Amino acid sequence: MKTIATTLLSAVLASGSLWGADAAVTALKVNSDLSTVSYASDLWKKATFSPVLLYPQTTIRMNDKKANAMNAHNKAKKAMVAALYNQENIVFMIRWPDNTVNVQKGMSTTSYADGFAVQFAGNFSDPNALPYIGMGSEGRPVVLHLQKVAKDIYEPNGNGDVAHQVNRNQTDLFGKELAAFDKKVASLGSSDYERSFVSEGFRSMTEIKDGSNHSYARIHYLQNKKSWEGTLSRALKDDYVNLNAGAIPVAFAVWDGEKMGRDGLKHLSAWVSVKLQGMQGGEALIKALDTKLTGDPKAGKAAVAANGCVGCHQIEDSDAPNLMGPSLRNVGGYSTAGYLKESLLKPSAAIVPGYNRNAHSAYPWYTLDKGVRVSTMTDFSWLDEKTQNDIVAYLQTLKAEVE
Amino acid sequence: MSKRQLAMVMDLNKCIGCQTCTVACKTQWTNRNGREYMYWNNVETYPGTGYPKNWMDLGGGFDAAGDLQPGVIPNLEADYGVPWDYNYDALAGGASFEPNVEPTWGPNWDEDEGDGVFPQDNYFFYLPRICNHCTNPGCLSACPRDAIFKREEDGVVLVDLDRCQGYRYCIAGCPYKKIYFNPKISKSEKCILCFPRVEQGLPPACAQQCVGRIRFVGFLDDEESQVYKLVHKYKVALGLRSDYGTQPNVYYVPPTESPVKFDANGKIIEGSDRIPVEELEKLFGPEVHDAIATLKAEMKKRKETGESELMDLLIAYQHADMFRLDNTYYQNVAKEKGLNPLAPVDTRYIAGKYTKTAHRINFTHDAAAAAGGHH
Repeated sequence: MKTIATTLLSAVLASGSLWGADAAVTALKVNSDLSTVSYASDLWKKATFSPVLLYPQTTIRMNDKKANAMNAHNKAKKAMVAALYNQENIVFMIRWPDNTVNVQKGMSTTSYADGFAVQFAGNFSDPNALPYIGMGSEGRPVVLHLQKVAKDIYEPNGNGDVAHQVNRNQTDLFGKELAAFDKKVASLGSSDYERSFVSEGFRSMTEIKDGSNHSYARIHYLQNKKSWEGTLSRALKDDYVNLNAGAIPVAFAVWDGEKMGRDGLKHLSAWVSVKLQGMQGGEALIKALDTKLTGDPKAGKAAVAANGCVGCHQIEDSDAPNLMGPSLRNVGGYSTAGYLKESLLKPSAAIVPGYNRNAHSAYPWYTLDKGVRVSTMTDFSWLDEKTQNDIVAYLQTLKAEVE
Repeated sequence: MSKRQLAMVMDLNKCIGCQTCTVACKTQWTNRNGREYMYWNNVETYPGTGYPKNWMDLGGGFDAAGDLQPGVIPNLEADYGVPWDYNYDALAGGASFEPNVEPTWGPNWDEDEGDGVFPQDNYFFYLPRICNHCTNPGCLSACPRDAIFKREEDGVVLVDLDRCQGYRYCIAGCPYKKIYFNPKISKSEKCILCFPRVEQGLPPACAQQCVGRIRFVGFLDDEESQVYKLVHKYKVALGLRSDYGTQPNVYYVPPTESPVKFDANGKIIEGSDRIPVEELEKLFGPEVHDAIATLKAEMKKRKETGESELMDLLIAYQHADMFRLDNTYYQNVAKEKGLNPLAPVDTRYIAGKYTKTAHRINFTHDAAAAAGGHH
């Protein structure tokens, strides 16, 4: 059982103001079946909720003028996360504030859905070299589970049922037969917009359609709390990930349909450590994700200025255009210290592919060397270790305030 | 850039706005399953709001530096128009004839209005539009999922429906707003240049059905094709809004023939032209002046001497000459790839570029072949 003390501690840690190390979220072990747990389950009464902060994605800016204007001044959101696991499955609940219910409607080109996603790392043996937070990176795959609130969606590549794809006005049916036809068509739509993906970075994300992973996601709006509650249940081990470990990295993202949220217009967390209660190991991961480097942010800021980072990166609105390099405006919110340091020392280790290279052809974020992506950023491994740590400490302060 | 590029030329002097192309396309591709509101081919009145409403003001495309510009996604009700239907069934029961939704906007809402003052200088012409199958497509560059691709074989731009997740950035990125969101399946869809027809040697439905024979189709690198002659030899066919930087592959012969204007007293203004050349320059770029000069000169030559290859070409005597589609080429591509010659030469639009084999839904003819071929 998690004690009050550790709960409080993890709460403080999530806000990142202590040097000590405890997992951000603790998954309690239960004996019940967890394969299809939803928000309605009584099991959640046992669970401990820990805060997880979700920051607006600003690394790349999407090309939707209206949506960009709506999302220009987003603040971070505070979500509460709990987890349970048993021998086979692990289940998460995320509760996040959202004042409006937005459903992707069946007859609109401009309605967008609220939704959430949970991301797992394919390999987390080196906690300082986790997959890139934005849907993984080359050679470092992630699995994502997405649940959106949508009206019925009719998949085009379903089972080849052409007869029910014709317009009702073009059938030769009348009266009862037409009603039966309409009913059959309606039954072919799915309002459960649940998807699982495997991904090695932006744009490589591919839906898993062969049933090789098991997951079960549900979403539910709490009118009184003006919050969504999403649950995701998945197997501890499948073809893509093996979560049988003392601690695992998990990341969360939420979308706000009111602000035209979809794809990159989202709020996301950094990799969050989840301790599987009673399982051995995981200390290194927890330490890596929940310990702040002992750098001096002030000195780091000076070093960032001295090394000309703003020539390519946007730290404030007035800096280089967003498309020159990944914007760092919220990098402290959704990056781990390990990632920041790795990117500083080995820029090509985890590349943010960013835009389609043709979208901003004058500013490629990487070059291709025999098919391998090589970052266009200079390697800063020549800096002394103190300066490196100072810069990382400064970058960790770059994040929007919490709403 | 693809290895070869299919292109279409539309002769605006001959478009009568009959919408036969629109109907051919609609019945072939977009009359069901969430595409009801879409017009992959539309014919709008210029000047006018166009379809979707004010599409030229909705952003997208590239600036001079080659950067993709942000854009706006049109609204179904306000900008495209909800397709309405009538209560035919209820008429027998004595009901009055009513639309099922209150029509507030639709394509061609301002048909034939044009601009200017009647009868002095009013004018309009028709502008048929399909996807431009651009060499540098804005939709493709905008897609965060690499779900849009340009076929190597002929430059046709297609959406890989397996990869598309319905984010709609492609719509913002396309300056022509010729890619549409299908809300029923939550994916983007667009004109496919009738590639299944083209691969079998048939022109796109819109071109085949055109009663004015305004549409020429062929490969831009085929010097025998009329498309090549109009675009490269005579340079009388120009891209629409090339300033958007997407390098469109649908070309237009600008409208050169229009009646003279009248003055306030109803007298003919000699040598005047109702269609302001500035408007044509806005649509087709500064090259439009040379194109008009060539067209006028060739017309004069034809009148005087009876000879003009260009005029003969624009008269469009034979479909066989207007469409050079080279289905032998596609059959050779299929052969090289070891595909069934009746199957499409590129299956990425269903299979997915990064989709692992295990995740693919098999749409090839393999099953039929394994069962002994014909059934």
